[in-house]
Formats: sequence, C-alpha cells, structure tokens
Amino acid sequence: MESLLNFINQNAEQIIQYTIEHIELVSIAIIISILIGVPLGVYLTTNQALAETILHLASIIMTIPSIALFGIMIPLLSIIDQGIGFLPALIALILYSQLPIIRNTYTAINNVDPKIRDAAKGIGMTTFQRLIRVEIPNGMPLIMAGIRTATVLNIGIATIAAFIGSGGIGVLINQGISRSNHTMVLAGAIVVSILAIVADLILKFVQVKFTPKGINN
Amino acid sequence: MSWNKRIAIIVKLFFSIIVIVFFYWAITNNMLSHITNEATEFLALLKQHITIIFISGGLAVLIAVPLGILVTRPMFKKVDWLIVNMANLGQTIPSLAVLALAMGILGIGIKAAIVALFIYSLLPILQNTIAGLESVNKQTIDAAEGMGLTSLQILWKIELPHAAYSIMAGIRTALVINVGTAALAYLIGGGGLGVWIFTGIQMFDHTYLISGAVPVTVLAIAMDYLLKGVQMMVDPKGLRLARKIQHMEE
Amino acid sequence: MIQFKQVSKVYNDEVQALRGINLHVKEGEMAILIGPSGCGKTTLLRLVNQLETMTSGEIILHKENIKQIDKIKVRRQIGYVIQSNGLFPNMTIEKNVMIVPDLLGWDREKQKKRFHYLMELIGMNPDEYRRRYPHELSGGQQQRIGVARALAADPPIMLMDEPFGALDPIIRLRLQEEFLQIQREVRKTVLFVSHDMDEAVKMGDKIVLMRNGEMMQADTPAKILLHPKNHFVEEFVGEDRILKSLKLYTLRDLVKEVNLCSITDINDKPSINLDASLHHVFSMLLHQGYQQLAVVEQDKLLGMVDISVIEQFIRLEQQKLL
Repeated sequence: MESLLNFINQNAEQIIQYTIEHIELVSIAIIISILIGVPLGVYLTTNQALAETILHLASIIMTIPSIALFGIMIPLLSIIDQGIGFLPALIALILYSQLPIIRNTYTAINNVDPKIRDAAKGIGMTTFQRLIRVEIPNGMPLIMAGIRTATVLNIGIATIAAFIGSGGIGVLINQGISRSNHTMVLAGAIVVSILAIVADLILKFVQVKFTPKGINN
Repeated sequence: MSWNKRIAIIVKLFFSIIVIVFFYWAITNNMLSHITNEATEFLALLKQHITIIFISGGLAVLIAVPLGILVTRPMFKKVDWLIVNMANLGQTIPSLAVLALAMGILGIGIKAAIVALFIYSLLPILQNTIAGLESVNKQTIDAAEGMGLTSLQILWKIELPHAAYSIMAGIRTALVINVGTAALAYLIGGGGLGVWIFTGIQMFDHTYLISGAVPVTVLAIAMDYLLKGVQMMVDPKGLRLARKIQHMEE
Repeated sequence: MIQFKQVSKVYNDEVQALRGINLHVKEGEMAILIGPSGCGKTTLLRLVNQLETMTSGEIILHKENIKQIDKIKVRRQIGYVIQSNGLFPNMTIEKNVMIVPDLLGWDREKQKKRFHYLMELIGMNPDEYRRRYPHELSGGQQQRIGVARALAADPPIMLMDEPFGALDPIIRLRLQEEFLQIQREVRKTVLFVSHDMDEAVKMGDKIVLMRNGEMMQADTPAKILLHPKNHFVEEFVGEDRILKSLKLYTLRDLVKEVNLCSITDINDKPSINLDASLHHVFSMLLHQGYQQLAVVEQDKLLGMVDISVIEQFIRLEQQKLL
C-alpha cells in the first residue's frame, strides 16, 4: 500500500499525462460516435426493417471481445500502414459505442407517448419541429444514458488499446506487466477504475441536468 | 418491395460481403494457418480458454443467483439498494483493471485469472437476478399470497419462472464478457487464446493475430447465440406472449 | 364550414372504415360524432386535419378543398384536443398553450396577452400556472390546458377527440359545462367525438350517429331522440330516449306550446322557475306527494304543471319534428 502511494507520488506527472491521453482518446471517440449514432438512431425510427438490421449488427459487434477486434484490425489496417496506434483504437471505440447510442436513441424516440406525437402532428408541427421540440427533449434521459454507457465502456476498452500503442493509462498496466512491477500494474488499475467511476458519476449528473424539468420518471 | 426494406437488405449484404472478403483474404494469405499447423497447441489454448470461462462463470452463477434471491426477500429490503448500487458501480470498473488488481493481490497464474473473471461475472448476474425478481407484478404475488401459497412456493412457482428470462440474460452477458476477458488472462499468466493474440502484437506477426483473434470472436458470438437460445427456452411461454403483446402495444 | 362529400376510407385494401359520408357542419355549430367503438368516428375526425388520408371523396373547409391546402397549414388553423390531452411533458404550461402561436411566429407581447386571455377563459390563474409542468396538474386541469392550447391561435375550427373521456364523472360534467360556456363566447365550428349519449345530447347542436363506417343519422339532438330513423339508432340512444329528450327543453319552451293547468290551492306545492329543464321538473313531479308544481317567473305565478302537461308537450314536439 505504501509503495503504491509512493509510486503514484513519484510518477504523478506521468500518470496525469497518461490520464489526459486516455480522456482525449475517449472524448474524440464519443463525440464522433454521437455524431453518427444519434442521427442514425433517429433515422431508424422511420425505417423499421433497417432498424432491426442495424441493431442486430451493432449487437454482434458488441459481443466481439475488444482484444480480438484489435487482433483482426491490426493486419487489416497495416495495409494502410496504420496497424497500431491511435487510429485502430479510435475505430474500435467508435464501433463499440454504436450499440448503446443507437439503441437508446431509437428506443427513446420510439417510446415517446403516441398521444403526444399525435398531438404534435395535429397541431401542425413539421416532422423536424416535432423531433426538435418534442421527441428529442422527451427522449433526452434515455439518449444520455446511452452516451454514458458508451463512455464508461470506452474507458475500459481504451485501457486495453494501450497494448496496441494508443497510449493512455493502460500503458502503466502494460509496462508494469512486462517489467513485473506489481505496484505499477495496481496503480494503473486503480487510476483507470477511478476515472471510469468519476466519468459515470459526472455523466449521471449531466443526464439529470439534461432532463427537461417536466419529465418525471 | 418498399425502399426501407431494400435499404435494409443492401446493408445486410454489404456487411456479409465484408465478412466474406475478410475470410477470403485471411485464408488466401494463410492467416489462419496456425490453427491447422499447430492444432495441438490451438486445442490446448482453446481448452484453457473455455475452462477459465466456465469455472469462473459457473461459480458466479452458484453464488450470484442465490445471493440475488436472498437480498430480494423482505428481511433484506433495506440492503437491497446498496447491493444494486454496488453491482452497478463494480461494472464501471474496466475488466483489465480487475485482472490487474487480481494479479496485484494473488500473483501470476490461471487461478488469479479465474478469480478475476469470477468476481467480474458476479455483478451482471446479481444485477439481473435482482431486477428480474423485482419486476414480478406485485398483484400476482398478492393473489398468490391470498390463495395461501407459502413464500417458498411463491418463489418457485411464480417469482423464479418470471425472473428466469432476466437471470439468463445476466448469465449470458457475464459469459460473453468472460470470453473477452479470458483473452486478457494471458497478461497475468492465465493462458488461453489470448496467448496468440498478444504474441502476434509483440512480434508483429499477423498470422498469430488472426489465428488467435478469429476463434475468440467466433467463440463470443457462438456463446451469445447459444445462451440466447437458452434464454428463450427458460422463458415460460405465457410470459413470452405477454411480453410480445406489451411490445406490440408500445 | 366543414363539408364531407362522399368520403370513404379503406384500410389495407380490405377494411372499409368509412363509406360515403356526406355531412355538413355549419359555422359555429358543434357536431357530435358518436357510435360504438370501431364505427369510424375518430377516423372521420382525423381526416379533417389529415392525420388520416381518405380513399375517396372530398372535404371542403371554408370553400377550400383540403387536398389543395398544405397539410401543416391546415393543421395550424384547426384546434385539436385529444383524450388525456397530449400535452408536451417537457414544456411548461405557457409553452404548451402557446405552441401554435409560437410556430406561427407571433411576437412575445402578443403571446403573453393571448396566454392571459386563454387562462382567464378556462378559469385558471395565468401567473400561478405559467411556469408549472403538465405532470404537476390534475387530470381536469390538464384537460383545460388542452382546450386552451387548441384555442390558442384562435382557429375557426376545433376537433375534439373524446376530450373528457378519461376524466371521472364529476369532473367531466364540470368541464362539459365550462366548455359550453367557452363555446358560447368563442363560437367555433366544432367536431366532437364522444361515446357518451348524455354528453352528446348536452353538448351537441347536431348529433351524427355512426355504425360500421356508415352514417346512420345526423340530426339535432331532439330529432335523434324523438324520431330515431331506424332500429339501430333507437337502440343506441336507449330506451329512456324520451326521458333524455326532456333535458333539451325548459318550462319556457313548454309554455309557448301548451297551456298550464289552472291555478289551484298552491299552499303545499313547491314552486319552480320558468328556466328549469323539463327533466328536472319531471323528476320533481315523481317525488312523493307532488302531483303539481307551481310555475313562477320573477315571483309571478303563471300556472301549474303536472305530468300530463309534459306528456302533451312532448307529443306536440314529436309531431312538429316529423
């Protein structure tokens, strides 16, 4: 325990550096995933057949273990000389984020009370107005929950991505293992766990903030 | 055929073609050759992989399901939320971190890997057991009590059949995650198919990478499908119908 | 104002939801669409704001064929109230009520004024409720807000789909009264779907009775009750139809047509005002011991009423409506 605190103390600067890298990777991936997943989820509510296909595909991707996905992507991306590093990690994180974000957006929009949707139509809202003023605000808690799930998941997968050279907190675990330095491994594990828990709590708070006041769950 | 359906079929075709092209590429480049050339080692690794998954998963089922039943009994109502929150929180911790922590405490080896996976599988199973048992309609239980069923009879005849689908969903989630986490067991000396994947990464050997990664992927997807089937089977027909109708009304 | 010409609707090429509906609802008239569930009343209503499309026929709104007007534009000129209100839970009461004016681009000041007027109209304090959310209100209050929202942009036409159907009976009666009051002030052309004959008799200038997508009878409440066109209508309006029809008339209507009984000893007989409904008079007469009631207007005794007088009046009305 003491050696752990000592280690963290002595390497604080390096650990912070890794944490920033980690957050960077996850943030970029989540922003791109939102830009893809939310519009796609909204579109799928108008295309039932495609919704089934996409959700099925996304859930298959979700079952692929991340280390196996990296294993498959490295040879493929080597063709364009990007086998290891930031790009494969980013692609993987984006792929894994799709299921929670698309599914939650799709469900959120679909779950809007049909009577409310009917009223919005009857009142003379255009499809776009309905989406912006009624459907998305009412679906916000669920959409945010999807983003939260994706973020927490990504923090974990980004740790594994350190083994293919994407940087981040996983580097501590990677180096700790290869140097048989248990303290270093533990430090990495603890820091990344705290990061995941803190991210979860912050996003839970954001989720509450984003929920329109009138919606009681 | 409507445009919507056509788009769906095109997307499906597109992804099928990607998969086919990938396998064509892998086979023509001998990427999967280790599986046949080193069949004995492959089988040994596979066996190790599956052993890790099932021992940890099996233990987790044996502990988590009874624990879930226990904490949903009236006398534990007060600690119920605590357990649920802990399970939620525990699942935010990355799998690699759990493995690393296990190694830090138990050292290197397959035992540490099994313990890590066991702990990691407990959470989704526990969570789904509690959720499944708590979702049983209170009026149904009320009616059963009114007819004079004992609490044990209510558990066996009503609560568990109702919760079976959800409990099985938890087991499915846990085992599918385990397939992936077991692939990381190599890092703490636990063996498994991860050996080839990490060897591939370290040696920049694509053949090892693909020979390790493809079986792990297939194993995960197969596990998911298999357990989905079990999940359907344990779900009483009447409940399945009720869920379907509810779904349609939504 | 609203004219249906040979309107038909077929679902999935097989289910005939509406057949050849011809109906004219005049300006300022409240027409009640009523019938057993599945009769097509809601579908007919939803054709007007084009939430459903018809298979054949025409609907003319204000001399314009709805097919030739933009769907969104039509809807913004039509107030729409549905059962359990369909208020937007994410918006405050003010945002909810002012949604159509907002879509139409009214300025803030005009919206504020209108909100005030509407809230006064439905009997709710504008400042108290402005920032509240729908879920904080009772069912009756939510439904009032639903009515206010429909009236917001002062549309000439209102469509109401069982607006009071989800409320408990006492609240429902009160909201019916309130809406009649409002209607007297705003004089909208209203299409109103109901499944409650008492509601229809109370609210309607015209009752449109439907079955299996066909119009069985469209007439004034009195005509429907006193002269049901066929067996179905007779059964639907109920065996007590004559009794129900008494709600449509007051003693004032009666004295115009028939003579009251001569004034006898009135000491032990209760008196009744000229504006009382015949339904009320009749139930008082059934009370133990009252064979006659004294009819008064501003303390002036006009004569006596008994059951035979009422019977005579209803016969006469029945003949007049033939």
